Amino acid sequence: MALSRDVPPQVVIPTFVDGRELAVWRSQSGRIAAWDDRCPHRGMRLSHGFVRGESLSCIYHGWSYNEAGLCQRIPAHPDLVPPEAIRVPTVAAVESDGIIWVASEPASQPPPTLTGLVALRSLTVEAPATAIATAAGMPIDQDGALRPDLAGIACVLLVQPIPGDRTVLHVLVASNASPAAQAAVSRALEDLRRRVESERLAA
Amino acid sequence: MTDTPMLNEWYPVGILTQLTKAGRDTLLMGEAINVACDSLGAPVVSAEDGRTLPVRARYGHVWTSLGSPTKELFDIPEADQPGRRLVDVGVVRVKCSPLRAVENFLDIAHFPFVHTDILGAEPHTEVQRYEVQIREEVDEVWATKVKFYQPQAAKSAAGGITTDYMYRVPAPTVSILYKTCPPRPGEWDVITLFVQPMAEDLCQVWPWMALFDDQTPMTDLIHFQQMIFLQDRSILENQLPRLLPLDPGMEIPTRADMTSVAYRRWLKRHGFTYGAQLVAA
Amino acid sequence: MILYDYILSPDCYKVRLLAALTGARITLRPVDFHPGGEHKTAPFLAMNPSGTIPIFEDDGLILTESSAILTYLAAKAGPAWLGDDTPAMRGRVAQWLAFSQRLSASIGKARVHDMLNKPADIQACRRAGTQCLREIEAALVEQRLAGHAFLAGDRPTIADIACFPHSMLAPDGGISVDPYPSIRLWTRSIRALPGFIEMPGIHRLHDLKPEPGPIPERV
Ligand SMILES: N[C@@H](CCC(=O)N[C@@H](CS)C(=O)NCC(=O)O)C(=O)O
Ligand code: FES
Ligand SMILES: [Fe+2]
Repeated sequence: MALSRDVPPQVVIPTFVDGRELAVWRSQSGRIAAWDDRCPHRGMRLSHGFVRGESLSCIYHGWSYNEAGLCQRIPAHPDLVPPEAIRVPTVAAVESDGIIWVASEPASQPPPTLTGLVALRSLTVEAPATAIATAAGMPIDQDGALRPDLAGIACVLLVQPIPGDRTVLHVLVASNASPAAQAAVSRALEDLRRRVESERLAA
Repeated sequence: MTDTPMLNEWYPVGILTQLTKAGRDTLLMGEAINVACDSLGAPVVSAEDGRTLPVRARYGHVWTSLGSPTKELFDIPEADQPGRRLVDVGVVRVKCSPLRAVENFLDIAHFPFVHTDILGAEPHTEVQRYEVQIREEVDEVWATKVKFYQPQAAKSAAGGITTDYMYRVPAPTVSILYKTCPPRPGEWDVITLFVQPMAEDLCQVWPWMALFDDQTPMTDLIHFQQMIFLQDRSILENQLPRLLPLDPGMEIPTRADMTSVAYRRWLKRHGFTYGAQLVAA
Repeated sequence: MILYDYILSPDCYKVRLLAALTGARITLRPVDFHPGGEHKTAPFLAMNPSGTIPIFEDDGLILTESSAILTYLAAKAGPAWLGDDTPAMRGRVAQWLAFSQRLSASIGKARVHDMLNKPADIQACRRAGTQCLREIEAALVEQRLAGHAFLAGDRPTIADIACFPHSMLAPDGGISVDPYPSIRLWTRSIRALPGFIEMPGIHRLHDLKPEPGPIPERV
């Protein structure tokens, strides 16, 4: 789960789904993929790796993996065809309306449609989703979203719980909001985070 | 879990030239210890419960043990060879298993990616076949005839050379490498990684060197080695699982990893499992 | 121009980096910061009573704060790195240079604590470091909305050089950088600048180079 804009070609980021650590990356041609964040060789996090063309390479010894997660090159043995058993477990990743969605189980339903919106930013809050919902004064809806008005703008906050009782908010705003209005929303989000976290500290 | 075989081993806990009477508190395998010196400057290591622990002063460092060592501290004959410069590189703390720190030191295949343009560079990534054995008579892991192309093998190196290496593991958390010595063909530079296990997933690394190099200022030698080791640190802190898997299945080695495979086998044989995991998690 | 330098110091690295990006020739004088503590010895305290490095010397002038050194070096070797000369730009650059001291005092301290065993209130350093990173992230979001890719404007300046190293090295001090997508993209664009050099803990962007050889064929 991330904003498409935050994962341009050749970028790899760490994230979580259902507590599982993932590396999400985009190839040079624009394909998105989500894998276990662990290289089968010596366990290095693949989210520290690098993207060349359509493959992701591990930073430690440079083993490279194709789109399917299959190891295709071991630099220490340049002529060796790696055995098919060397493969990184992958999970399904799809993109719609500027958001990257991943599902560790085959998803029962497609991601919600979010038309008329533009992705603003993601931010991590040191509090569980319920605390954010309380501060926003509304329940999390069936799309896993909060829909408050922030700085007078209608917003959609997609809620991604991550380990450690933390939550990532992926925020979209009405696509006709001006850059200045979007900046105001960004500040309102900082304020929301401050409130949620200070209430938690007080509690 | 306390690991009896590893309790009886020697571990580095300080630099001899930096001891103070008040001492410094640190951790050894989860136990709080104090590393100090007496009025004559001799090292004194005491445990939290007041026990005085055995000490050795060797290779620039203080060595101690929580148990009763059955073996004397391993020998590095080169340490007494005339003409070598002995370098205390300084401690670096790493949030990783002490065994993973040693294993990384035994590995050459990462040079082009982690020590880019210094110890390795693409396209020179190939690891040629080398020899590995457990030398039963001394009970040490040895790798010999290791060769690798290096753009800047040492502070004193002027350009790229193919470097010869030998690796030696004389104790579960100690690794010694011998490498081509650019100013003195025919001799080997000695570079060690002495590792202090603080916890199963936390260690302190005390690199030490015995080099033939009369030219390079001491500070440059220290910085070169710190630069190399600090490039490894972010790798070591991001390997999963944190503990070194000793059973095959969890990680996939290739021919380039023969030293690591032998090291893991040797650890397992001796029950050296502090910092290791035995079952695939 | 002489830089009294330590390879693991982010504050010294800022100066090395700007020199590399501008092509300025500086002479490095390595200081045995660790384990020797040479920066606290009399000759160094004579140059810099506060006992920190970097120290920079040129033609009798001694400068001891990384932000001042960046300003001087840019003025001398690459004025474009100061940004344009509008009052707003000057203010923004000065703002980030001042801000960078908060990074040294939080992330920098957490880092030498976790790495080199130097004393620190580690929890306080980490909290302050996280707060700094959140401020950079929020500022980068607003810069993007204003059409600017860098901290002070649409091209890199010494503001970016001053804040870049600690932003990348925070994990060395146990401060995660995972929650900051804008920082990730901003640091990538700095790492991709022509002439960029690394320091330990900041790896080469290997993706800038193509695969060196063919992928072995499956038969
Ligand atoms: N304000 C100084 C801070 C530099 C600084 O903290 N340097 C560290 C090394 S990275 C240092 O010298 N620390 C010595 C000490 O704190 O005792 C600057 O920006 O140059
Ligand atoms: S751990 Fe990934 S290539 Fe070795
Ligand atoms: Fe290394």
